[in-house]
Amino acid sequence: MLSGLTKFGDFYDAAVTRFGGRTRPGTARDSLWLNVVERSQVADGVVSLRFGGATLPAWQPGCHIDLHLPSGLRRQYSLCGDPAESTYRIAVREVGAGSREVQALRVGDRIQVRGPRNAFPFAGLGPIVFVAGGIGITPILPMVHAAAGRGLDWRLVYCGRSTKAMPFLDELPIGRVDIRIGRGGPLLGDAHPRGAVYCCGPASMLGQVRTEFSSRWLHFERFSPPPVVDGRPFTVELRRSGVSLDVPADRSALDVIRDFRPSVAYSCRQGFCGTCDVGGVRICVDRPTGDRLVLEEL
Amino acid sequence: MEPDNLVLQPRDVQFDWSTLPMHWVPDEPVATHVMNVLHLLLPEGERWFVRTFQQVVPMISDDTLREDVLGFIGQEAMHAEAHSEVLDHLLANGLDPRPFTRQMEHVFRRILGPKPGLTEEQAREQLIERVAIVAAVEHFTAYLGDWMLNADALDRAGIHPVMLDLLRWHAAEEVEHRSVAYDLMCHLDRRYVRRARTMLLVAPVLFWLWVRGARFMVHADKTTRVRLTWREAMRAGRRGLLPKLSEIFRAFLRYFHPAYHPKQEGSTSQAIAYLAASPAAREAH
Repeated sequence: MLSGLTKFGDFYDAAVTRFGGRTRPGTARDSLWLNVVERSQVADGVVSLRFGGATLPAWQPGCHIDLHLPSGLRRQYSLCGDPAESTYRIAVREVGAGSREVQALRVGDRIQVRGPRNAFPFAGLGPIVFVAGGIGITPILPMVHAAAGRGLDWRLVYCGRSTKAMPFLDELPIGRVDIRIGRGGPLLGDAHPRGAVYCCGPASMLGQVRTEFSSRWLHFERFSPPPVVDGRPFTVELRRSGVSLDVPADRSALDVIRDFRPSVAYSCRQGFCGTCDVGGVRICVDRPTGDRLVLEEL
Repeated sequence: MEPDNLVLQPRDVQFDWSTLPMHWVPDEPVATHVMNVLHLLLPEGERWFVRTFQQVVPMISDDTLREDVLGFIGQEAMHAEAHSEVLDHLLANGLDPRPFTRQMEHVFRRILGPKPGLTEEQAREQLIERVAIVAAVEHFTAYLGDWMLNADALDRAGIHPVMLDLLRWHAAEEVEHRSVAYDLMCHLDRRYVRRARTMLLVAPVLFWLWVRGARFMVHADKTTRVRLTWREAMRAGRRGLLPKLSEIFRAFLRYFHPAYHPKQEGSTSQAIAYLAASPAAREAH
């Protein structure tokens, strides 16, 4: 029977590749061009921007948009408004060149946007503890409102350096809100041991939540792969392409190879799925013991 | 409102098979073995999806779709690994699946693998046809995923909890990424003729492989004398332990509707809710 299928497969392939006709490719999805309709300072160093345009795609708590900045930089920001509104709102803390450029936008400016996309979906099953650190309140805020609106059992732990540096304190719903200034103290405290935790904040905060909750029931957002710890710089040699690329201490071979060849396949960026495997090397995490990594097949 | 704009992420799941009995649907060897065919087909099948899609990445000119495809590849790679661990467990417990899985290697590596001696244009055409084949298969995995998430009879039947979690974790991710292969096919070639002919090819072959796999499993299981008959399979279907053939046939027909889109099958919010509660997916962070 299998030999029959093999013969049929060969025949089918031959027929399709020779008489398949002309393909009609689809068109790429258009990105959105949006106008800045509102700009305001919502905390020390934090600017909130509202974008408007003709019928914006719907979004849910946890969604982000990609801004394509005039300089060529691309930055992702969580939507922090109300999904029922006809505009998108983001809040941006100044941390580098990209955020400075976003903060410099003025009412009336036009900007190219991709999305919204959701990398941090909110399942809405209680009881829930939200943990937000500083600007990490942005994806959490719409979730808190959704939880309060649905009457779920929720509490929010919102940490920051000072109340002046914490945006949206005046927009939090009435309920179990715990505002923490400065470091220290357990974050989850007497949280329900079987509930869900939604966390967005600096890596140190995520680390603390993980140890307190022994890694269970945790939802968090990862815009970028986990940082490279104790990495040493090395050179990656792509034999087939005939090039050598320098990989700095804080980047992976994958990061550097992607700059050179954007179509390289990868997925989890944490070393478990194996999509980026090249001849037994998982280029998203593996580093050589010496200072040279040779990839024959790239 | 359905969140159909998910960023797809593979999950680093682990399953402990040490307590899995041979008949993990208690007293239902036929239902167990019909579902065991998943473990026979999927590791090789999903690895073939991964290889096919890896080759396609350079042909994608839409950034969002490229991200979707990369997420899809990672999820499928994890599915393949998880199911092949069940095969190892079966082998260790006296049921040798290798005569069948060797045939699957032949199907997915030889028959569906890259063919030599093609021009660049022909190789591209063949690759697009493979993508369309994956899209047709993914229509069934989305249908089965939706069925699995809603099959309350499986809970009532007392299925081994680790196996139920594997099946529903997989089902939920199939529902999560159900549009990717179809959108990729339309991005490369949106002609109806390709969609229709690949489904006409996939449906009978998949059905035939499934029947063959179930026969093999029932035969290879020395702990039961039950035979695989249509009557047994229909009875399990009536009890809700297997999807009904008539429903599968209706799902097959839906693919030919001109306005078909995979979004119409299953519910993303239900998938997210399961993944938020799944023991394996929760441990994966």
